[in-house]
Amino acid sequence: MNNLLKLLERFHFVILFIILFTISSVLYFNTTYYQKARLNQLTLGVSGFFDSYFSSWSSYFNLQTSNTKLFKENVNLKNRLAYLQQKLKMTADTVEELKTAEVLYRYMPATVVSNAVNQQNNFILIDAGEQDSVMAGMGVICDRGVVGVVVSSSEHFSSVISLLNTDLVVSAKHKKSGVFGSLSWNGIDYRKVKLLDIPLHINLAVGDTIVTSGFSAMFPPDIPLGSIVDFYKKDGRFFDITVELFADFKSLDKVYVVNSIRRKELNKMLEAAEK
Amino acid sequence: MKDFPKYALLLIVLMILQIGVLNNLNLGGYINPYIYILFILVLPFSTPGWLLLLLSFFVGFIMDYFCNTLGLHMSAAVMLAFARPAIIRSISFGIQDEKSSPDLAHEGLGWFARYVVIGVLVHHTTLFLLETFSFRLFYLTIVRIILSSAVSIFFIILIEILRLQRHKD
Repeated sequence: MNNLLKLLERFHFVILFIILFTISSVLYFNTTYYQKARLNQLTLGVSGFFDSYFSSWSSYFNLQTSNTKLFKENVNLKNRLAYLQQKLKMTADTVEELKTAEVLYRYMPATVVSNAVNQQNNFILIDAGEQDSVMAGMGVICDRGVVGVVVSSSEHFSSVISLLNTDLVVSAKHKKSGVFGSLSWNGIDYRKVKLLDIPLHINLAVGDTIVTSGFSAMFPPDIPLGSIVDFYKKDGRFFDITVELFADFKSLDKVYVVNSIRRKELNKMLEAAEK
Repeated sequence: MKDFPKYALLLIVLMILQIGVLNNLNLGGYINPYIYILFILVLPFSTPGWLLLLLSFFVGFIMDYFCNTLGLHMSAAVMLAFARPAIIRSISFGIQDEKSSPDLAHEGLGWFARYVVIGVLVHHTTLFLLETFSFRLFYLTIVRIILSSAVSIFFIILIEILRLQRHKD
């Protein structure tokens, strides 16, 4: 105790200074608006950081529900669009009115359950099956292009052969010229696919859009797939075109299964033609 | 203790000058001279440390009360009071006469000028840095500190000379 008093006596000047300076500083920073704002800004920077961090977390949870909502709405709109397009065609072409009175494509929502991009033969599993009238041979698209084709389906799930599968070839066309070729993956870069069989006389440019051709009845025509990033002449007859996909297969989540109403009929005709 | 009326009078005069005149004198927006610190500077050598700090705290409080900046002048004044013994030690030779005080009459112009320059700089640096509380306007703050200090030093020495004249009469 005696020592403590001695210590206090010895350092009373410094201690008193610290006390008084602290009191005045605290008083000052608690009274003036500018400094208050400055300090607030400082603390806001810290608290705001955590706030935004947490809100981004909570928005992630909300994202799920809002996504599903938007997704359903999207499906409705797509169906409506297909219907209206059909109507438009009907009024434009009265001769074919009776033939085309029905909707050509129906979209069914599905969510990707499992996905791979790092193999040569990638498959995607989606959560729509026979119960949702998903059948083998139907095309699968997402909001930014073609995903693949359903190869088999169980009651609740379907296996989709990914566009990033070296075995899948999709018919695609050069939007500007309307010339079609075959689109397939070469198994290297998950963002890039090859478009082959485009004849040399076509004027190509980097950035040109590649869309679906609509020939196969799996996909509706004119769905944007990607854009040309590189091309060169191959074999002296065709171009070898590298297309960068609009769809990011690594972040694939919500997809649509395309049900072409005339798929069966068309397939039958094609088979008959081949015979 | 017999000097108490003298210092009280000095404080009152300085406060009237400061609050009545200099606080309303905003030269070019950068220059805010503060002469009230002369009171802290010229307290006798024998003033105990705690009294020095408490008196500065009090003087700063009066300033803040009138400037509507509660805490700002208190901080700067307490800082000056804390630095005062060190300033005196650093510019003095030998031991001070315990009965005298660090003013113009006892120490001469050369010593006093040095003393005032260092004291004013300590006070003004603390004050302006606390006031802006930002390093964004650091150069502007430096300019304000230097200009204001120059004017403060001028006024303080002028007042001290006038005080000396009165003393002699």
